[in-house]
Amino acid sequence: MKIAPAPTATPAVPVDDQRNLYYALVKTRRFDERCRRLFKQGRFPGTYFSAVGQEATTVGPTYGLTMRDVITTSHREIGAAITKGMPLVAILRQIYARADSPDKGHSHPCHFGYPAVNLFTPASTVAAQTVVGTGMALAFKMRREPHVVLNFFGEGATARGAFHEALNFAGVHDLPIVFICENNLWAESVPAHLTSRIERFSDRAKAYGFPGVTVDGNDLLLTHTTAREAIVRARAGKGPTLIECLTYRWYGHSEIDPANYRDAQEVEYWTARDPVARFEQHLDSEGIMTRAEREALIARVDAEIEEAIQQAESSPFAPPEEALNDVYSFSPAETFPTRDAGSGARGIR
Amino acid sequence: MKTVSYIEAITEALAEEMRRDERVFVMGEDVGLYGGVFKATKGLQPEFGPLRVLDTPISEELIVGAAVGAAAVGMRPVPEIQFSDFASCSFDPIVQQMAKLRYRSGGGWTCPMVLRICCGGEVGGGLYHSQTNEQWFFGTAGLVVVAPATPYDAKGLLKAAIRGDDPVVYLEHKRLYRWVRGEIPEDDYTVPLGNADIKRQGRTITIVCYQLMVHRALEAADILSREGIELEVIDLRTLLPWDREMVLSSVRKTGKALIVHESPKTGGVGGEIAATIMEEAFDDLDAPVARLAAPDVPPVPFAPPMEKFFMPDAAKIAARCRQLAAY
Repeated sequence: MKIAPAPTATPAVPVDDQRNLYYALVKTRRFDERCRRLFKQGRFPGTYFSAVGQEATTVGPTYGLTMRDVITTSHREIGAAITKGMPLVAILRQIYARADSPDKGHSHPCHFGYPAVNLFTPASTVAAQTVVGTGMALAFKMRREPHVVLNFFGEGATARGAFHEALNFAGVHDLPIVFICENNLWAESVPAHLTSRIERFSDRAKAYGFPGVTVDGNDLLLTHTTAREAIVRARAGKGPTLIECLTYRWYGHSEIDPANYRDAQEVEYWTARDPVARFEQHLDSEGIMTRAEREALIARVDAEIEEAIQQAESSPFAPPEEALNDVYSFSPAETFPTRDAGSGARGIR
Repeated sequence: MKTVSYIEAITEALAEEMRRDERVFVMGEDVGLYGGVFKATKGLQPEFGPLRVLDTPISEELIVGAAVGAAAVGMRPVPEIQFSDFASCSFDPIVQQMAKLRYRSGGGWTCPMVLRICCGGEVGGGLYHSQTNEQWFFGTAGLVVVAPATPYDAKGLLKAAIRGDDPVVYLEHKRLYRWVRGEIPEDDYTVPLGNADIKRQGRTITIVCYQLMVHRALEAADILSREGIELEVIDLRTLLPWDREMVLSSVRKTGKALIVHESPKTGGVGGEIAATIMEEAFDDLDAPVARLAAPDVPPVPFAPPMEKFFMPDAAKIAARCRQLAAY
């Protein structure tokens, strides 16, 4: 898979932002690898969906959003969760399904949601969040608020009817939403050429009447600046953009998938295009961060991660009866507590 | 008090809630310019504008899913599915998003919205414009399912649903839209969700029903009272969660129960109610709990004699009640 050239000359990114971006990138990588190991050590049940290799695709677009902007994701956007500001310990409590997890253990290890930073809790149905995110953008437009929605999904999601319904509607109403397609070439075990006749998924935007662009999703500054342009456009009421980020997941669909449907050459091609190593080279060559500074930062990140793991592992499970809560706004014991006098035969023809 | 039709009661509820709370908005197919295919949203777009009374493409998954998103960020959407038959196209957002959002986020996100769905037979609509498919939603914990039978309840329940914090599937019966008229207060009122209502007191048999079947049961009650059989007609009004307390206390009084619905018997709401009565009130029963429902065919056949054969009506209810009374 060839990578598209940058759509425009890369706009400048201030040095401080580049350092912050590196911090978010490295934090995502180190934490993701650590979570894989935790799963392999049997320290939490279920499975784990790693995004190693795809970090630039989620970290770049998310960096710089306001708290009120919303991110809607699927299960492989840990970089978006971290960059938007979900604390590592909250992520881990969710992975471990502990009592003080944001979802109280109800949902799924990788369905990260955190209302405090407007990170929406996802459902598993593919492309479902595309529709829901569109509704959030509609609300922002109705209320004349300047917030945007960043909606992440894989290339496999573009085959769903929900994807079409959402993008079509977002286009009709010029909604403030940026659709970010993480094209990692594989929809679980099915290659992209078997899910779509077109090569560039961003071409689909033409059908909805708004811009679509394909970028190298392993180029952190490029994903950041491309999304930044789209976000500015959305905030200005000029409507959605579809950004296709070409990237690659290094491991299986989840940790129980050995991913033996891929050939070694392809994996080698992509691991050589590691978004972390590439950004480090850039920081070196531009003199933005020295190697020593980077290593100190990595040590700090690793300490943060170990601290969060300790905290999460010392959290208890919720009592099993917690399974009965949060079905309705009222508790199951009371059902609907109020009783009216009844209308009796009133209102009968 | 004033007298209105069932559909006028619904339109009034929408208009009043939109005036009261600017977070409330309406979206769906043909709801704006046209005022709805049944005119439930007539007059709303001129008053509230095209963004709060929003015409959508024919995209049911979008209509419901977008409402979920808007609700999650603080709006009070009241989307419309024009015919309940096409709710199948929005099944994913209904059962996976609306119903589960509060649960899957541990209460962090909520979904205060009301999905109005138009359903019901006796209108010559055929297989794809006549179903009452409440059973599609009845098995989905997390949803509140409302099914009014009268103008008073239609307005009061819709207002309560809009003001509440839960995702509500609000089922309107299209046969009732203009056929049923009734009194409603001039002033603001709500009818609490989750409460059944005794539409007629009786001591011989408890009839549990909702929507159109309430009216058919009341007709049957008129016929049977001349024969000394007194039906107690309970209108569930809210199907999920349903009012077990009222149903069980009525059955304990009468000793006999018949559940009536116009959707097919297998997998219907009636099975759950019958089973609950058996579990909770077996010692008070004087006869097996009975169900009267449509036959197990894909609803609703088109040819008029077939549709009539399909639908439960007063004569069928009366006949089944005579058997129960004689048991």
